[in-house]
Amino acid sequence: MKKIVVLTIVIGTFLLVGCDRIEGPYLITDQDETSYVEFPALDVSTVYRKVLIEEFTGHRCQNCPTGHQKLEELHERFGDTLVPVGIHYGSLAAPNAVEGYPYDFRTEIGTAIGQDFAIDGIPTAIINRGYAAGGYSPVRWQSKIEAVDRSTPLAAIQLINEYDAASSILTANAKVTMLVDCPNPLRLALYLVEDGIVKPQLNGTEYIADYVHNHVLRAGFNGIYGKLLNGDGILKVGTGYTYAKKLNFKDSDWNPANCSVVAVLYDRTAGEVLQVEVMKVM
Amino acid sequence: MKKILLLPALCLLALSTFAQHQLGNSRISGDFGFNGMYYIPDSLIGAEKVDSKVRGNAFLNLLYSNGGFSAGARYEFYMFPLIDFEKINYKGQGIRYFFADYKNKFVHVTAGNYYEQFGNGLVLRAYEDRQLGIDNSLLGARVKVNPYKGVTIKGVWGVERLNFDSYLGRKDFVRGLDAEVSFNEMFDKVQEAGFVASVGASFVSKFEKADTEIETTLYPGSDSSATGVIPVDKIPQNVATWATRMSFGYKGFRLDGEFAQKMQDPNITNDFIYKKGDALFLSATYSMKGLGVAASFIRADNMDFRTQRMQKTNSLLYINNIPAINRQYSYQLLADYSFASQPNSQIGVQLQVNYQIPKKTKLGGKYGTDLTFNFSRFHNTDQQPVPMAELYGTMTGTEGYTSNFFKFGPDLLYQDIGFEISHRFTKQWKWILAYNYISYNLEKLQGHEGMMRGHLVASDLQWKVTSKHSLRLELQHLYTRDDDGSAIYGMLEYAISPRWFISVGDEFNYGNPNPQHRLHYFNIAGAFVWNTTRIALNFGKTKEGILCIGGVCRAVPASYGVGLSITTSF
Repeated sequence: MKKIVVLTIVIGTFLLVGCDRIEGPYLITDQDETSYVEFPALDVSTVYRKVLIEEFTGHRCQNCPTGHQKLEELHERFGDTLVPVGIHYGSLAAPNAVEGYPYDFRTEIGTAIGQDFAIDGIPTAIINRGYAAGGYSPVRWQSKIEAVDRSTPLAAIQLINEYDAASSILTANAKVTMLVDCPNPLRLALYLVEDGIVKPQLNGTEYIADYVHNHVLRAGFNGIYGKLLNGDGILKVGTGYTYAKKLNFKDSDWNPANCSVVAVLYDRTAGEVLQVEVMKVM
Repeated sequence: MKKILLLPALCLLALSTFAQHQLGNSRISGDFGFNGMYYIPDSLIGAEKVDSKVRGNAFLNLLYSNGGFSAGARYEFYMFPLIDFEKINYKGQGIRYFFADYKNKFVHVTAGNYYEQFGNGLVLRAYEDRQLGIDNSLLGARVKVNPYKGVTIKGVWGVERLNFDSYLGRKDFVRGLDAEVSFNEMFDKVQEAGFVASVGASFVSKFEKADTEIETTLYPGSDSSATGVIPVDKIPQNVATWATRMSFGYKGFRLDGEFAQKMQDPNITNDFIYKKGDALFLSATYSMKGLGVAASFIRADNMDFRTQRMQKTNSLLYINNIPAINRQYSYQLLADYSFASQPNSQIGVQLQVNYQIPKKTKLGGKYGTDLTFNFSRFHNTDQQPVPMAELYGTMTGTEGYTSNFFKFGPDLLYQDIGFEISHRFTKQWKWILAYNYISYNLEKLQGHEGMMRGHLVASDLQWKVTSKHSLRLELQHLYTRDDDGSAIYGMLEYAISPRWFISVGDEFNYGNPNPQHRLHYFNIAGAFVWNTTRIALNFGKTKEGILCIGGVCRAVPASYGVGLSITTSF
């Protein structure tokens, strides 16, 4: 009897250790698009159309600080109705350790946007993605911002960010509410931008070792132009879409305290950004 | 490199000193084999120019036994292997098989390398097939115990052989338990009553350290494609399989069955899904004088079970074996259309009826006439992607699919309808005539496009000229509009038993859609047998294709040249 008990224990242990049972979900993906947060009720009367300015810049570009300064002036002038994103783009954004610029600010998404808009010189910018081959030089930025029709808000974007310090995962929750009908395909893109990055910058002929870079595009949550919201038809006024995407800060040097999420609702067919919103990560 | 030809001669000389060496109860025995070839490039058939024209595979087995104790080792020399083996990376040399073994009536213990099979092999089959270049032996220990008459319990632990790669640093191993109760051995009355009955159960588990996450692309092909990751802690390191089996027989009737299930095993062959695998094998046979009927069924779904999850090459590191139950043929023209067992997706049936028209009847003649009818059909299994897999556009990291157990999937993999007549006219003359209609899924089984449907007619005429001299003429015709098109084959074989054998043969691919590929593949072969030694020489061309044995296949490259084969045992 004793032998049988021992044998049973040995075999039982063998069977137990011989098989791992894994509970799902098995795949970690930033594609879990369900938002579990509760968005506050939207007061449509408080919604106004914001303008996206994507500035193409580079740390070895001697005129770019002029662009940065112009952008700060416009940001002050237009307040939170202007959402800037700095895209380090092109050969002058490439790192060059010999010259003292070892850091690489460039992103695949920024490069793709620059190529799509045929940016061939910096500093330049595109406003609300209204197509202008090569982008606009700083002297035209203000007039182009003012040219955007902001009399009627087309859509509202609400953003709620959840940053889990333990896992270094940021969940950006977005809710889009249509304020007009839209027959064209609309995409919602989420980008991460960071302020206060202290890295070298060329200014004229001066090498500034502790230059502060703001609004720097760090990553995209969901590709270059984001998720298609209405692949199956017209977006009707009043329709609300909730959406969540995750971004892992692990293995990056991004400081979540200085980061913000920029949400862009883009009508690629018409070549126009309908709405843009920005929200600090923490 | 031509020194390689000296190897068999030296080994034969050395072996002659060992031959039948016996001291008291001790005995030394073994066997030696050499298979070499001199390669001649032939751009027409696609025989590549090889680095070293003279190549060969050689091995020497030595076995020492004394009562219940035995020990053995095999030295293999594959430094310049035949190109078939080089292509599957079976290249190297050394003692890759050695063991010490002791057995008595109660226990059988093996340390070192060993081969083993539980049941039908659905969960464990460590075996060797030298022709295919497969050696799945386990290096470790095995214990078999017979605690009671008719009861056998086996336990195994080992690291599986991977060609000539080192065992050191391996992060994977296999362990297993098997128990079988044979009632006819246990109870004499059952045996005396003519019954055969047994039941068995197996449990096999592999361990493989998980230290690398698995990445996949979600929404492939769309402009919002993204990356998904299966983290290390979601990869099972211990993967188990279990099986139960039974066997029952009474007089001419026999029924065998085994069901196996594999637990979560995301691996490269199943696109890293977490669905459980399963396999069912059933076989029923009935025989009486002049009639034999055999029917089999197999279903295997997600049962590719290997010690390393990233291994997908041919039969490397298979722990189990899902048998191919279709009728196996040796017809030259069907060699390229042999069904390869699909452990991850196959369901099919096989039926064979053998009937002998009685002797001394009008149709049966003086010696009777044997008729054989065969039908087999295999499909892939039914697979309906789970919603998560549809959402992501990939099965990776999901439960994969659901499957209706007995439903045949939409893709026909293989079908064979065959009929064979075998008749002996006189003591000297015998004729076998066969017809087969084959459907073979080139895309699923070989990765080429389309389906091959062909009619094969084969004739085998044997003439026993005298008691020692015999002549055999084999003729085959494959008619098909698919793949490489129609072909004919003829072979004349002359044997002077028991020592000499010579044959000439030719395959002509006359129906190849490309007129420049309507080529002849001739072969001249001769062999000499002396006691336990066989020396064979051949010269000719081999068509590019596949070689399958028991449903396990490997690619065969085109070749042209002179081959030498020597085998001996002592």
